[in-house]
Amino acid sequence: MRKRKVINRTEWFLIGIIFLYCAMVTLVNPAFLSFETLFDILRSSAVTTIMAAGIMVVIISGGIDVSFTAVALFGAYVTTKILTETSAAWMEHLGIAFLLSIFMGIIWGLLNAVIVHKLKLPAFIITLGTQNLIFGVMTTFIGSKTYGAAAIPKVFSRFASAQLFRIHTASGTIGVSSFVIPVAIVLALTWFIMYKTKMGRSIFALGNSESAAMRIGINPFRVRLFVYAYMGALAGVAGVVYVSQVRSMYPNALVGDELSVIAAAVIGGTKLSGGQGKLLGAFLGVLIVHLLNNTLIFLGLSSSWNDFFIGALMIVSVSVTAYQERLKNRKHFIFTE
Amino acid sequence: MGQELLTVKNLNKSFGGIHALKDINLTIRSNEIHCFAGINGSGKSTFIKCVSGIYEPDQGEIILNGRSYSRLSPQEAIEKGIQVIYQDLSLFSHLTIAENIAINKIMNSKKRLVSQKEIYSVAQTQLEKIGVEMDLNATVQESTMANCQLTAICRALAMDAKLIFMDEPTTALTGKEVKRLLTIVMDLKKKGYAIVFISHKLDEIFDIADKISIFRDGEIVGDFERSELDKKKLSHYMTGREVEYPRYVRTFQDNTPLLQVDRLGQKENYQDISFSVRPGDILGLTGLLGSGRTELGLTLFGLNPHNEGSIFFEGRELRRLTPGLMKSLGIGLLPEDRAAQGLFANRSVKQNLSSVVLERFSRTAGLLDQKEEERIAIEISTDMNVKTSSVDAPVSTLSGGNQQKVVIGKWIASKPKLFIMDAPTVGIDVGSKAEIYDKIQFYASQGMAILLISDEIEEIVLNCNRILVMAQGRQIAMIEEEERLQASQSELEEKIMQLISEENPLPVQTQGGAVV
Repeated sequence: MRKRKVINRTEWFLIGIIFLYCAMVTLVNPAFLSFETLFDILRSSAVTTIMAAGIMVVIISGGIDVSFTAVALFGAYVTTKILTETSAAWMEHLGIAFLLSIFMGIIWGLLNAVIVHKLKLPAFIITLGTQNLIFGVMTTFIGSKTYGAAAIPKVFSRFASAQLFRIHTASGTIGVSSFVIPVAIVLALTWFIMYKTKMGRSIFALGNSESAAMRIGINPFRVRLFVYAYMGALAGVAGVVYVSQVRSMYPNALVGDELSVIAAAVIGGTKLSGGQGKLLGAFLGVLIVHLLNNTLIFLGLSSSWNDFFIGALMIVSVSVTAYQERLKNRKHFIFTE
Repeated sequence: MGQELLTVKNLNKSFGGIHALKDINLTIRSNEIHCFAGINGSGKSTFIKCVSGIYEPDQGEIILNGRSYSRLSPQEAIEKGIQVIYQDLSLFSHLTIAENIAINKIMNSKKRLVSQKEIYSVAQTQLEKIGVEMDLNATVQESTMANCQLTAICRALAMDAKLIFMDEPTTALTGKEVKRLLTIVMDLKKKGYAIVFISHKLDEIFDIADKISIFRDGEIVGDFERSELDKKKLSHYMTGREVEYPRYVRTFQDNTPLLQVDRLGQKENYQDISFSVRPGDILGLTGLLGSGRTELGLTLFGLNPHNEGSIFFEGRELRRLTPGLMKSLGIGLLPEDRAAQGLFANRSVKQNLSSVVLERFSRTAGLLDQKEEERIAIEISTDMNVKTSSVDAPVSTLSGGNQQKVVIGKWIASKPKLFIMDAPTVGIDVGSKAEIYDKIQFYASQGMAILLISDEIEEIVLNCNRILVMAQGRQIAMIEEEERLQASQSELEEKIMQLISEENPLPVQTQGGAVV
């Protein structure tokens, strides 16, 4: 019997690219190979990683969500507003901030699930609608002023500057950002749900075939409620991490980035048609995107090269998997070309 | 005789004005294989859905393990040990075999967590029950139809089934795989399970049945012990008439070869194939799975390119074959997998029928003449006797037999010179089958050349005036017209049967690493 692979072909491909790229950059600029760069990438990719884990779950279930950036923004913005305007000292707590933002995320997620399921319309259109709706609700009814660094609640900046541990190097002391804590929790939780629980099985089953899933007693509505609410919750988490990282809150932040998060998941082997996807792949996808984002400068390239590389990478990685599948299909005499 | 598991009394079910089931009385016992025979739409599936809790019967009584129900919920039916394996199997294509086998049990357990170990042990236990080894880590997508079928059986067994309904389990399987499946089914019977087996293939029914119930127009027109029936009597009951298929004899005069294949080969699939086809020929191409029959058919339509030998069409040698080129030369292909490769399932009957002949009603600048399209569609559907409410109905709403008529019709519309038909009557009821044979023979008598690929030997012997037998990618016999005319139907069938089984000493390699 074949062993179940822990790292599949797409993932080896991505790992290969990461190594190759790192080797190349180090040759050009030895300063690249340092703990500082590594920690920098981990810190800057936190928001995307959290959201990518959520969108992967949605896509595996056979759905899609493009409203999650708006949800993250909503959660972050409203939480910031509440924390700055409240007089209760106990509210000034990071845990409270996360809970508030997650709660709002879940509400929006449930709304997405209800509309998608009850109206039986393509989730893409629905969530494109709710993206605008959520953004609109925020700017019209809640506020649209910018919170600068000085106005941001202290908890956020403390969270951002907190370090998990420090290491001493020749060039000075550098630390690992505390952002890795929410990232680690989100990754572990998502892995656990997807591979160790009945809900995870139901999500895979639904994405494979809704009618077959119903025939074995899976309630698609319940699964959708969970999936979109989970995406909402993770968007809430990402929102708080985001304000802390940027140390300011613009009312137009994040929205527009949803496709690049989806792209990261897809580069990592998540099938847009549903039913297939791996967390490790999605994580590697995010890592590559941020690696390019942060380190092209070491190669002396301007950041405008960024889009070029990410676009090329996405096309190559998706083509490679599609080509392998086609070879497999040919063996089974399925001709798709 | 086994004990009574399920008894149904005076079961009635209507949909709108249609009386789908009329006063059904039936008893199913353990240790028994009970076959349901009947053409499509005769009520077999409706019956299964009533006793498995999907439909609520209008009237009647269902007695399960001595308890009487006027209706069942799907959950109750499952708890009482009723499992249905639907024709489409309802498997999850990206999940592994192990996960597919265990998923039902896991979903119905109270536990919220699942462990990979438990999945394996559940799957392994079921495989042992049927005495089969399979790669549990292969996904369904990369497994053969035969292994998928076994997976579905294991899934039912995992739910502690006592009564398993199998809806046409053999349609997508080849001869050898069918035999293996039937052995497993007989084995399950010996272990005490009750099996209800639905099939259109009469041979299979006679191979395994203990009891046969015949459905016609929503009624059971006969309950028989296996020994009380023969094939002829059975088809008589099923259709209300005795089905006699006419044997095809070529009458067309023109003897210039249309297609010539010379020492054609493709590594791994087939080698050294030579034959020619004249207008009016129905050339049969038969052999087991892995014999290369389908692969050769695909090559001739420009898919699956060959790398040795040559192909001549109307005297001209063809290089760089593509489906587009073959179509323009007047060659059509009826693919083996009707649902996936032959139809645009969500489009209308009309658009399916007109899809091959778009140029016949496309006008200036590629605009389509919709009226002409409709006229063409109605003309073909009438000609092919497609039973549909209108040509605008989605083709997916049609029965299997009628869908196949649409796939055949769309090519007939282009009036091909050579029509390659791969498994044209798979999963089709006796009535539609007779109509399709009739059409095939009619078009051939008009001068169309047909390459009929099939593993149903009876079908080959009836319809083909010349027969090419393949085994392991090699041409092992060519039965020409004279020999075929001199031999009787059964003599030919026996000869071919022997040819393909003798010449096949090596095990058939299948996809997904599984052993069949």
